[in-house]
Amino acid sequence: MSDAAKEKIQSQIDNNNVVLYMKGSKEQPMCGFSAQVVKILSSYGVDYATVDVLEDQDIREGIKKFSEWPTIPQLYVDGKFIGGCDICTEMHFNGELKELVTK
Amino acid sequence: MDPENIKKMIENGLSTSFVKVVGDGSHFEAIIVSDEFTGKMLIDRHKLVYGALGDSMREDIHALSMKTLTVEQWENLNNKE
Repeated sequence: MSDAAKEKIQSQIDNNNVVLYMKGSKEQPMCGFSAQVVKILSSYGVDYATVDVLEDQDIREGIKKFSEWPTIPQLYVDGKFIGGCDICTEMHFNGELKELVTK
Repeated sequence: MDPENIKKMIENGLSTSFVKVVGDGSHFEAIIVSDEFTGKMLIDRHKLVYGALGDSMREDIHALSMKTLTVEQWENLNNKE
């Protein structure tokens, strides 16, 4: 991973409480898994940032190494990696995710 | 990539008591039951599975949706049904 990519990711997660690395945008997700996490986060009515990895190849590869996680989407809350689509979905249904992002 | 190959890779990399994988060649769903998950958070459980799949996860598998359960969770789930 390039230092530039690492610094960029670090500043994105430092400057936003909730950041979703995804394919596409909130308005137009380009993958069903990304769309699912957008749907969950939007249902909480909180502000969250998204980063479209399709627009930045450095970030797309960099985030996988940064999180040691091979797939997109990836959710960060308070600078901490939470997980991908399965984990967000499971934490949504047991109430943990809402508590985490709305606290 | 065949679901059966993914099942074998998971079984080789982890001590599992039940693995089921279904999929269409690039998108897969798996249920994995292992006592290695005991006391671990979901991200660490998923990382164990990704570790077992190694480079395949980056190259051959587009998406893998998984349920990772301990033996105890699995038994509770089956008793409920």
